[in-house]
Amino acid sequence: MALRSRRSFLKAAAATSVGVGVAGTLSFRALAATDPGRDFEYSGWEQFHREQWSWDKRTRGAHLINCTGACPHYVYQKNGVILREEQSKDAPLLKGVPEYNPRGCNKGECATDYVYSATRLKYPLIRVGERGEGKWRRASWDEALGMIADKIVDTIQKDGPDAVSVYSPVPAVAPVSFSGGHRFAHLIGAHTHTFFDWYGDQPPGQTQTCGVQGDTAETADWYNARHIILWGANPSQTRIPDAHFLSEAALNGTKIVSVAPDYNASSIKADMWVHPKPGTDVALVLGMANIILREKLFDAHNLKEQTDMPLLVRSDTRMYLRESDLVADGSKNRFYAWDGKTGMPVLMRGSWGDEPEVKPAVQPPFLARNTLTFPDGTLDLGALDPALEGKFKIKLLNGKTVECQPVFELYRTRILADYTPDKVAAITGVNAKIVAQMGREYAMAKPAMIITGGGTGHWFYSDVLMRVFHFLSSLTANEGKNGGGVNHYIGQWKPVFVPGVAALSFPQGAGKQRFCQTTIWTYVHGEAYDGMEKVGIDTAKYLKHALDTKQMPIYPRDGRDPKVFICYRGNFLNQAKGQKYVLRNLWPKLDLIVTANIRMDSQALFSDIVLPSAHWYEKTDLNVTEEHTFINMTEPAIAPMWESRTDWQIFKALSKKVEEAAVAKGFKSFFDEQFKWNRDLSTLSAQFTDNGKLDTDEAAAQFILDNAPQSKGITLDQVREKPVRFKANWTSPIKEGVPYTPFQFFAVNKRPWPTLTGRQQFYIDHEVFFSLGVELPVYKAPVEADKYPLRFNTPHSRHAIHSTFKDNPLMLRLQRGGPMVEIPRVEAEARGLKDNDWAEIFNDHGKVIVRVKVKDGEQPGRISMYHTPELYMDLIEGSSQSVCPIRITPTHLVGNYGHLLFRPNYYGPGGSQRDTRVEMRKYTGTVTKQL
Amino acid sequence: MTTKAMAVPTRQIAFVVDLNKCIGCQTCTVACKRLWTGHPGQAFMYWRNVETAPGQGYPRNWTAKGGGYKDGELQKGKRPGGADYGVPFDFDYEGRLFQGKADRARPSPAPHSAPNWDEEQGAGEYPNNHYFFLPRMCNHCSQPACLESCPNDAIYRRVQDGINVINLDKCKGTGSCVEACPYGKSFLNMADLKGNKCIGCYPRIEKGVASACVAQCAGRAMHVGFLDDMNSSVHKLVNVFKVALPLYPEFGTKPNVFYIPPAFGPMVEDAQGNPTNQAKIPLAYLEQLFGREVGSALALLRSERSRKMSGMPSDVMDTMIGARSADMMISPLT
Repeated sequence: MALRSRRSFLKAAAATSVGVGVAGTLSFRALAATDPGRDFEYSGWEQFHREQWSWDKRTRGAHLINCTGACPHYVYQKNGVILREEQSKDAPLLKGVPEYNPRGCNKGECATDYVYSATRLKYPLIRVGERGEGKWRRASWDEALGMIADKIVDTIQKDGPDAVSVYSPVPAVAPVSFSGGHRFAHLIGAHTHTFFDWYGDQPPGQTQTCGVQGDTAETADWYNARHIILWGANPSQTRIPDAHFLSEAALNGTKIVSVAPDYNASSIKADMWVHPKPGTDVALVLGMANIILREKLFDAHNLKEQTDMPLLVRSDTRMYLRESDLVADGSKNRFYAWDGKTGMPVLMRGSWGDEPEVKPAVQPPFLARNTLTFPDGTLDLGALDPALEGKFKIKLLNGKTVECQPVFELYRTRILADYTPDKVAAITGVNAKIVAQMGREYAMAKPAMIITGGGTGHWFYSDVLMRVFHFLSSLTANEGKNGGGVNHYIGQWKPVFVPGVAALSFPQGAGKQRFCQTTIWTYVHGEAYDGMEKVGIDTAKYLKHALDTKQMPIYPRDGRDPKVFICYRGNFLNQAKGQKYVLRNLWPKLDLIVTANIRMDSQALFSDIVLPSAHWYEKTDLNVTEEHTFINMTEPAIAPMWESRTDWQIFKALSKKVEEAAVAKGFKSFFDEQFKWNRDLSTLSAQFTDNGKLDTDEAAAQFILDNAPQSKGITLDQVREKPVRFKANWTSPIKEGVPYTPFQFFAVNKRPWPTLTGRQQFYIDHEVFFSLGVELPVYKAPVEADKYPLRFNTPHSRHAIHSTFKDNPLMLRLQRGGPMVEIPRVEAEARGLKDNDWAEIFNDHGKVIVRVKVKDGEQPGRISMYHTPELYMDLIEGSSQSVCPIRITPTHLVGNYGHLLFRPNYYGPGGSQRDTRVEMRKYTGTVTKQL
Repeated sequence: MTTKAMAVPTRQIAFVVDLNKCIGCQTCTVACKRLWTGHPGQAFMYWRNVETAPGQGYPRNWTAKGGGYKDGELQKGKRPGGADYGVPFDFDYEGRLFQGKADRARPSPAPHSAPNWDEEQGAGEYPNNHYFFLPRMCNHCSQPACLESCPNDAIYRRVQDGINVINLDKCKGTGSCVEACPYGKSFLNMADLKGNKCIGCYPRIEKGVASACVAQCAGRAMHVGFLDDMNSSVHKLVNVFKVALPLYPEFGTKPNVFYIPPAFGPMVEDAQGNPTNQAKIPLAYLEQLFGREVGSALALLRSERSRKMSGMPSDVMDTMIGARSADMMISPLT
């Protein structure tokens, strides 16, 4: 039929000379209910479209990118060509809430594009031009891996193993792929990187308050809220698969409040849109708290039982009153409240100084310490009535009498004095009546939820904001309640089965792995300038102290430079804050940069050797998220295209090559002093595969499932059948049919929070917190170290996942063909800028020249450029990160205070960029060829 | 009124788009594009698109293109030009990334128009700017102007489901349907000179599977079913609750795609930042889109949601929530 030959399914199908045949499996029965039983004259022709919707094979597919979706899909293949994907719509149902299906988005439904994309990496490539120039020669795997292995062995010999640096982010997305390079790094002694903190996504304020890496409700739980504040969160744009729960909650009678400077795609559906000046959110929260305190809308019992509000603070030292203050040989990690019944100070149970009778067998990496073996009810007050208010004279061990006050008294006094609605209105620009209304409505709705994310999490003082969110939630006893709590949705950071991932990545234990903290690593090796001296904060002083006292790590140690940088399934350079410094100062220090990816991203473009990895539809991996509680997977619809290989197979092969190089160079083993580990390179490949047991990606995936209590007993075959719910989770139990919400082990079971005080802790009596004035969470204005007029905002786009899909032609056709900055009309007019003009955006850190889109919904004084277009895209100079410095918040460097300690991705500086300010002007030059 | 002899469908498929749930994510746009319009000559055409309203739409200024019926008479409308659709951008990634070409991979042609060019721009000044997302597709009209306009009788209504399709064997590419459709949803494929338009995913419908734009809608904003099926959500929303209305009913084509108008959202603010009692989206604008009945639909939607807010049940809200996808469509499963 002429039509058929004229319309091939895909150009690719034609390219492979495979005809488009009729799938024999489909019999086109007329749908009984619709068939009128009559012949229809044109029905013969209709077969054409029926054939278009037919396939030979259907496989499981997932999108292994940092998007948080973890959306179950089917991938449809015909004649060896992947046609398309579609949501499988078989995520199991939960009770009383709408279903998760169909999870997906505009990017996910064209993920096949990357299989056949012009940016796809097909063969190993070795650079022949300058870094970034795009001039390559094709190499064999043997040659490329041989070169890398040679350099690694030489570097280990000459500079030490810690001069080799291996970077790959977000294990939840693709834990097998992630583990490949980490297992390799672990076995040779290379250092690996943190990423959750570096992206600014790890919520340090939640760690400070709750003693956890972070935890959130799965999004189905939004439906259970009666009141939702979207605080700086825009799920319609950035959580596309989950956003329906918001509109469904609204239709079910939930009030929705959107707090955002711009009138965004979620604000338009909210009942109330509140638009404070960017960065003033803490004041707004404390204005709400002011009303809640003044009008006694808070739950005092919850504060007494669950939080540090009753704990006593000495007025002389401003430190907590500790057992060591009153008792000879008393603990420094036990704390007092004032018992109103006995009129005596009383030690509160569950603090860091208390040990449970049942010692925990494991220390989960996501808790500061494992408090889960304390008995239920440890926090129960029993007969105690701890005072929240008052001043008490207490005689110390040294004979001195000091006045002490509960934390609540200290904090309440400040909130009542400094955050009246009128004062808050002056700071935030939000009408005082609205501030009061927000406080009342939040306090009176049960349950009430705060949903937040990168909009609030990327500020210099974002930790303070997260602390006050939790304060609001605790004041109103919303913690640990379905439909309540504070939920931050950021990257796809949560590998629920983390013990399994750790076991696969670090076979000798994570304690024997060198982890650098990537923000510090980039700041130090990139010699980044942050301009913080202009606001009186000496980053170098805080950083030196943290490194000297080993509160935070740096690799390589002793001031040496990294020499070999291996990056896989990540776009480090393109995403790097302080990008100008990275390119100018860090890149030249690296003798060899290797990147493995499915496509030529900016990191790959600026590398020396590029390795092609298999597309998400060409390999087996798992795929999980914090947004739901199901294990999702992908499997090969087709074999890896061209010469690409899976990440697991790439590092397996590299292990073999390093083994060969080590043997050839007579450097079979070396003693690693730091871990007292005799590393045998001559058996590296057997160590990598555990003597063949982990030869395949499938075996590695099953290994992860088997080695985590959250997934033990679940098989890959079951997950292939349909997504399977985790058996357990982090800070709450998994209950049949009930959406997961965090912190129930503490809030409901009343086991101690994993903090220093064993309670949700708002007061942090640490010198660094005192020095910044944030021992209590109070409003700190954004740091104004850039003396420029416009706040520079870099939000997530609906048309990309970070840099992935930024280059996709279909996505670009549904935008304006390239990157753009959205600017308010008044700012455009003030600068003589019109829609679609080119504009130069600049500050002391760099410059980006980008097209302008005038947006009336954007707040005057701010401009928004969707973050991290690739460096080769339609910009005249730079990219979004060119003007963003790396700024280290000193409180994030604290690693010597109970629950505040360095552990990879648990706590560490994030490198904020929301405080950035810029100016912009019309660009009148030509469209140059400059990169 | 259609004068041509036309097989009258015995049943009618209808689509309902809930604008309170549509999040503008373009998942439907992409799902449709990747299923049906990936062939030569089709890159510019989006059988399904989502545009920002108020806005220029796709094709640009389609509301003024003409076509449809006036006083029962078929109107010959305009044929949109390439720029009205947006010439699809191409990029020389091969040259930049693999052959060392110096310039960046720039869009070709230089960007001046595109199907979603004015995304989220809307109307009104900060802080009282307003907009919403409007998904659009062929309306599978009961009085299809495209059908009547076709000189080759290539367009027909399927008897079993009322889906309107172009028979590509009969189509001779006159483009009359492109001119006649007042919604700009008939396209002319210049590669083969054939008329192309949404086929309602009839191969899926025949197998009891919802159309791609419905089954794949991440916002769960779409319903599809037979209007005579008393249990279907489309029947309830269109015929019983009467909250789903046709777009531009005065075009006279009797669409079978219905919209639940955007009934919620923040109020207009006064100069002090106090909310007034006036909705941001002007009623007059919604009346322009959905006709006079929109006022009573909005009132019903708001009162039903108020019931939910005070803890009372509401069939209308529950139907829109669609807790289980199977209640919103013939099976979502493929």
